[in-house]
Amino acid sequence: MNFRRTAYMMLALFVLIAGAGYAQDDIVIDFYFPSATANDAEGIFQRYADTFQERNEGITINPVFTGNYTDTRNTILTELQGGGAGPDVAVMLTIDLYSFAEEGYIIPLQGFIDAMDDGGAYINDFFPALLANGIDEEGNIWAIPFQRSTPILYYNADLLAEAGYDSPPTNNAELVEIAQALTTDDRDGLLVPVAGGFPIWMFQSFAIAYGQNIVSEDPTEVHFNTPEAVAAVEFVRSLGTDLGVGPAGGAAWGDTPVAFLAGQAAMIYHTTGNLSRILNGADFEVGVWYLPSGPAGEDGTGYGSPTGGGNLYVFDDGSKSEAELDAIWKWVMFLSSAEIQADWGATTGYIAANASAWETEPLASRALEYPQYGVARDQLQFARKEFSSYATITIQGIINKTLESILTGEAEDAQAALEAAQAQIDGILAEYK
Amino acid sequence: MNGAENILGRIAALARVFIAIVFLIPLVFTLLVSVRPEAQPVTKGNIFFGSELTAENYERALVIAPWSLHYLNSIIFVAGVLVVQLVTVTGAAYAFARMRFFGRSLLLMVILLQLMIPSGVLLVQNFRMINILGLFDTRVALMIPYWGSAFGVLLLRQTFREVPIELEEAARIDGANLFQVIRHVYVTNAIPAYLAFALVSVSSHWNEFLWPFIITRSQEIRPLTVGLNKLIKTTDQGAFYGQLMAGTLIVIAPLVILFLLFQRQFVESFARSGIR
Amino acid sequence: MRASSRRKPLVALLQPYLLIAPTLVLVLMFNVVPAIRTVNDSLHKPARGLNAAGKPPEFVGTQNFRDLFDHGHYMGSRFLRAFRNTIVFALATVTVGVPLGLLLALLFNHKQPLLGVWRFAVFYPSLLPLIGAASIWSFIFSDSIGLANAVLRSLGHPGLNWLGDRNLVLLSVIVVNIWKQAGYFMIFFLAGLQNIPRDLYEAASLDGAGEMQQFAALTLPLLRRTLLFVIVIAFIFAFQTVEQLQALGEGGPNDSANLLLYLIFQNISERRSWGYVNAMTIVLIGVVLTFTISNFLLFERDEND
Repeated sequence: MNFRRTAYMMLALFVLIAGAGYAQDDIVIDFYFPSATANDAEGIFQRYADTFQERNEGITINPVFTGNYTDTRNTILTELQGGGAGPDVAVMLTIDLYSFAEEGYIIPLQGFIDAMDDGGAYINDFFPALLANGIDEEGNIWAIPFQRSTPILYYNADLLAEAGYDSPPTNNAELVEIAQALTTDDRDGLLVPVAGGFPIWMFQSFAIAYGQNIVSEDPTEVHFNTPEAVAAVEFVRSLGTDLGVGPAGGAAWGDTPVAFLAGQAAMIYHTTGNLSRILNGADFEVGVWYLPSGPAGEDGTGYGSPTGGGNLYVFDDGSKSEAELDAIWKWVMFLSSAEIQADWGATTGYIAANASAWETEPLASRALEYPQYGVARDQLQFARKEFSSYATITIQGIINKTLESILTGEAEDAQAALEAAQAQIDGILAEYK
Repeated sequence: MNGAENILGRIAALARVFIAIVFLIPLVFTLLVSVRPEAQPVTKGNIFFGSELTAENYERALVIAPWSLHYLNSIIFVAGVLVVQLVTVTGAAYAFARMRFFGRSLLLMVILLQLMIPSGVLLVQNFRMINILGLFDTRVALMIPYWGSAFGVLLLRQTFREVPIELEEAARIDGANLFQVIRHVYVTNAIPAYLAFALVSVSSHWNEFLWPFIITRSQEIRPLTVGLNKLIKTTDQGAFYGQLMAGTLIVIAPLVILFLLFQRQFVESFARSGIR
Repeated sequence: MRASSRRKPLVALLQPYLLIAPTLVLVLMFNVVPAIRTVNDSLHKPARGLNAAGKPPEFVGTQNFRDLFDHGHYMGSRFLRAFRNTIVFALATVTVGVPLGLLLALLFNHKQPLLGVWRFAVFYPSLLPLIGAASIWSFIFSDSIGLANAVLRSLGHPGLNWLGDRNLVLLSVIVVNIWKQAGYFMIFFLAGLQNIPRDLYEAASLDGAGEMQQFAALTLPLLRRTLLFVIVIAFIFAFQTVEQLQALGEGGPNDSANLLLYLIFQNISERRSWGYVNAMTIVLIGVVLTFTISNFLLFERDEND
């Protein structure tokens, strides 16, 4: 048939075109990345790839956009389970560690670091909180921080000043007081975005502020039924009910920054990944501060903020050569270098992952111009590990559904709901003990 | 006309206007939001126009993805699917409409299974198939699962059945072979059905979202929806409604223009296609 | 005829099979064979726990299905909700969307001024990518900055949490679906209407039948086949279109608006859940299959009358 010939010709032509791009002996690194911002991520990564290739002859970087984080995870899993080669390096959520390690898809990076002359200096340059999710229980590093964020408090400084508040709230009591003072018929005092399928991240902030993170060093342990967790979820629920500073059931994640920029929310909890958008988009003075401390105290132990975002992972089923692995590690080092982190942080607004990046241009002058960036960085000293365990997706699902049932009033007894969820979680994790 | 008829007519006229307005509201606001400043949702300023009109959303949406490349890829994708579909569908439709053979009902059932099995859940297995065929990350991989169309077979089988059998007999007497019969008797008499099928096929594949992501990696062959994905899933920064609306309009513009131009022919070809 | 067909050369006997072969092979490759393998996989449980990678799945009989229909099981409680929602969603689409499509066809059938505009107004939603359409509606439904609440608030109502209130989300999702598909259904009804000979109506008018009577006595019976066809399509679509949930509340708080296929997607990203994912897929296919085949049989029998 005519078409088949055309199809084969097209195929051949494509292979030719695709092949022509690479010199013959080049090592080609497939780099998969998600995009969760309105930036031209493809353009940015192509620029990084070009710079890298100039400096490293014989290595070609092939950046591939793979949707958002969920799409990226599913794309990679589908490819690997379906017998494909998969990426060499990928940016995935920090919490994807255990499931990919469990499948044997990714390799620990500790060996690369140990082999470096100044491996200690390289690692110590990263903010410790950002490394937490990439380390296994034996202390091996599996993932390098790259596209990182934490929740933070954004406030409309003009509105606060109008109401007589010169500084942002530093603890939950002040938070409630200011939020109530700023709530009007067409404005919410405080939006905590727990609606839209992913309440766990915001909830974790409050659980930490109440004194007990829900995750531990041990991936087979989850602390979801503690008194602190009960108090935390009841506090979040009360924001929309008794305290009336936001919508019942919580605000939607995607709309929260839009409402803030429109002046319809005086304060919001949102990710630092949003800093550049909010700073560029606001026609009022934007204040940024640590998430207010909870009952655990203002000595730092009550500031509650989990980390979030994506790390760099290296994929290898054992078939990669020494030379390939070397090239891969060079690319990882390049992306996590102060030079690239400074550019990445300034371009996208994500917090640069290492301390030296903050002294590197263009981030240094951007942070000077907008002190808000510095606040986001400084909050990292209080930041804790993000929720992650074995069977992360399943357990995260249970936690999210349980939180939603409490926050929307479907489950009135928070304690009982958390106990029931904990029992299910323990049942699942027993398989991994 | 009596009074009751008159009232019915007026109700119908009112209903037309009312329904059209309700259905159009989302489109109208898609347009309006796409030209509003980002910091002004409809709750701020004039509900329709905000404080000013801006092209900013389009400017930003345009730089976020290589749209002209995506356009070209989408056109190649939908055309490549359609061309092969027309061939496979015609043959199968003729066989099911006019030939008697062992297992006919059963085989038709098997083909109709395609309509009932959500292919989205078979991703891993379909990926494996594409990988075995050595087609991963090619245009053919993008198209091949759609080359057979149960919907098309069903539609054309119905149409072919309504072509008078005498036409085929006459052609046979004149010495036409099978392919000549199909081409000159059936295809010629089913042009409207083909047009209807083409429009359904094009619009559904134009909007295909999941499969292109899973099966392609090269920017050079990825269709429009991959670009749209970037505007929709800006999770870390919240929703950018202005850019999103601008992007959605960029993606659907060709389909909308096609429909507006061929609206009458489209509806009529459906009417004459024998779907009843 | 029969005698001569026995003497047909082999080529002629093979002809029909050759004609359907391409379609058949493609459907077998990309739909049927994977579905059959899914049946097998649904009877297995992936190896779980430490060092489970690479170990073969264990045969567990109908255990996955029993877990799914167990309210106390962590996956069962989610599945049963999604299953119920899917049925509600499908029934709402069929019982509201299909009659609405018919109404639209009746309103926009005859020649009238601006006909193209009217038809465009109700048909364009079906040209939108589902996820794009859903994003437009997420803007309309947004709690604090959305269009719907802006209107409600201007009327003195405090507004509704369309995508956050567990009792409202499924309704919101259904509204979007009906809006998106009613125009598509209309096209099929328009086709059916235009195939009804005009003189039938003229005869009925001469007999003194009003429009209502004509509709009941003529239009509806003659549209029966179209109606069945549209119902089948509407039902199949309702089970298979879920991308919109990504923009419309991610299945709602505690799965209050989750749909089966979307729940499957949510759990596809962890291998340990694949036994459940496959079992859910089989339930989904089973429901659609039962419904469609019974309708198709009706359809075919009707046709052969």
